[in-house]
Amino acid sequence: MPKLTVKIGSLKFSNPTELASGILCNGALLRRTATEGGAGAVVTKSLTNERREGYPNPTIVGVRAGLINAIGLSNPGYAEFLRHELPLAREGKVCVMVSVAGSDVGEFLRISSAAEDSGADGVELNLSCPHVKKRGLEMGSDPELVHEVVKEVKGALKIPVHAKFGLTDRLTDAALKAEGAGADAIVAINTIKATAIDIHARKPVLSNIYGGLSGPAIHSIAVRCVYELYEILSIPLIGSGGVEDWQTAVEFLLAGARAVQIGSAVAIKELNVFNKVARGIERYLDTCGFKSVEEIVGCAHG
Amino acid sequence: MEEKNLEKSSNHLIHPDPVLNPESSGDSKFTHEKFVFKPAKIEKITVESPKVKSFYLKANSLDLPLPGQFLMVWLPGAGEVPMSVSDAGGGSIRITVARTGSTTEQIHKLEEKGTLFVRGPFGSNFKLDANSYLLVGGGYGAAPLIYASKVLSRAGKKGVYAVGAEDSSELLFTHEARKHGLEVYVATENGSLGHRGLVTDIMNDFLRRFKFDSILTCGPERMMYKVLRQGLKLGIPVQVSLERYMKCGFGICGSCVLDPIGARVCIDGPVFDGKLLLKTDFGKWKRDPSGMRVRV
Repeated sequence: MPKLTVKIGSLKFSNPTELASGILCNGALLRRTATEGGAGAVVTKSLTNERREGYPNPTIVGVRAGLINAIGLSNPGYAEFLRHELPLAREGKVCVMVSVAGSDVGEFLRISSAAEDSGADGVELNLSCPHVKKRGLEMGSDPELVHEVVKEVKGALKIPVHAKFGLTDRLTDAALKAEGAGADAIVAINTIKATAIDIHARKPVLSNIYGGLSGPAIHSIAVRCVYELYEILSIPLIGSGGVEDWQTAVEFLLAGARAVQIGSAVAIKELNVFNKVARGIERYLDTCGFKSVEEIVGCAHG
Repeated sequence: MEEKNLEKSSNHLIHPDPVLNPESSGDSKFTHEKFVFKPAKIEKITVESPKVKSFYLKANSLDLPLPGQFLMVWLPGAGEVPMSVSDAGGGSIRITVARTGSTTEQIHKLEEKGTLFVRGPFGSNFKLDANSYLLVGGGYGAAPLIYASKVLSRAGKKGVYAVGAEDSSELLFTHEARKHGLEVYVATENGSLGHRGLVTDIMNDFLRRFKFDSILTCGPERMMYKVLRQGLKLGIPVQVSLERYMKCGFGICGSCVLDPIGARVCIDGPVFDGKLLLKTDFGKWKRDPSGMRVRV
């Protein structure tokens, strides 16, 4: 499907679907997501310096139009993940982006450099996890800190650096800062901070109380963010939020994304959701007379 | 070629449900609401052993699980754990809970008329289309086997129920298995009842005396590994019910994945064809809550 190939800076995704970070997160599953599921690229779970168990269960719950999760950035520590899981993930023969969730510039730098040395195709800086203190969203909503993190990591790496943002009042400022610091692409958006309360138990469901909402509930908000960012940025965008079929993916492409991330849709549509979305995009291009995905990126703008 | 066969067989295992089958053209009927907890009233509690209790849950708003499937069970304030089902039918679902950690300890303190919060059933089930069965259980792993034995007995099938534990007080469901018409053999490590030693020690004996065309096993992983090896040596298919640490329970988090083929215990399992497991780190490695690989 060469017409589905998209270039995100120097990276080539075999189709515009990318597995979002934190889903299907170990090496062999990342490979399956590519070989069996048909993802055009995959992102690993977010890695930290030290091993993290994450929060106790329940860590994920369904709601009317999505899922809320507070996994808590569980990971075996970057060194173990890069040693054992990354090689399996790379057998999938698509771009493997290593997601990094540092709590300071030094942690981002150390893990990103190790990822490059271990053969990652790129890194995705998680500047937006909504449910872990001192990491993620608290950093992503501080444009000066964003600038510093991206600049340091870019300065040390040869592989591309993507910055993933969440929904904050300062999203456009932060994204502009990331672009100014040399980011190769912006991913928008992460899950949105949310809570689910069980009306029978009369208690919050998640052990952490707060989690991140994903799925159809956030799709239109994410499309708005990508649309706004496309107006002000010149680097590539990757849309994330509520993609579960080709229509929601095409909407992101028209808003200005060159690729889309898919995560919680795997829960209801299984691994094959990537194949289905990619085939649907191809049919859309054929039916409307476009020769490539690139032709429709940002088409909705005047 | 090897790789291709493997993919095919793992694909085959993944979704008995045509709705979820990757080749199916229709979209899934599931929505995210499948992952919402439902309250389930505890109708009755029975003490099975010093460490194990069974809870009969009123199942009016729940789908009935098949033998081998599991539920995610949440007790607010205490946590959530995957639980295998030891019986279902007549508007009730029985889960059998071993006290192994802080969540199950709190569940054990519940009384009749209390409430648990449940989602599921999830995962694959035992295929019960053969004629003569050997069921091998160890410790609290006997729970899904006893549900399978009920279904087998209703279909008029014959079998042997072999169960092991450290002490006779911990042997589960031996009366129930007899009631289902199965021959029962027990092993205890301290010799308090039956064979002194492991249930796998006496397995060769039944395998010589009876002709089985299917083996089901659930229990400690090293035990199941031996059962699998012994069964396959005689050319008898073995279905293995695995336990792994889980976060989501429905296939997206990746916590329970088996390397190197990437099979998920929660959705591709927990019941696996034993031959497939021999291509994984079954019996050798599992993962802790961080995803770190640790020895079984």
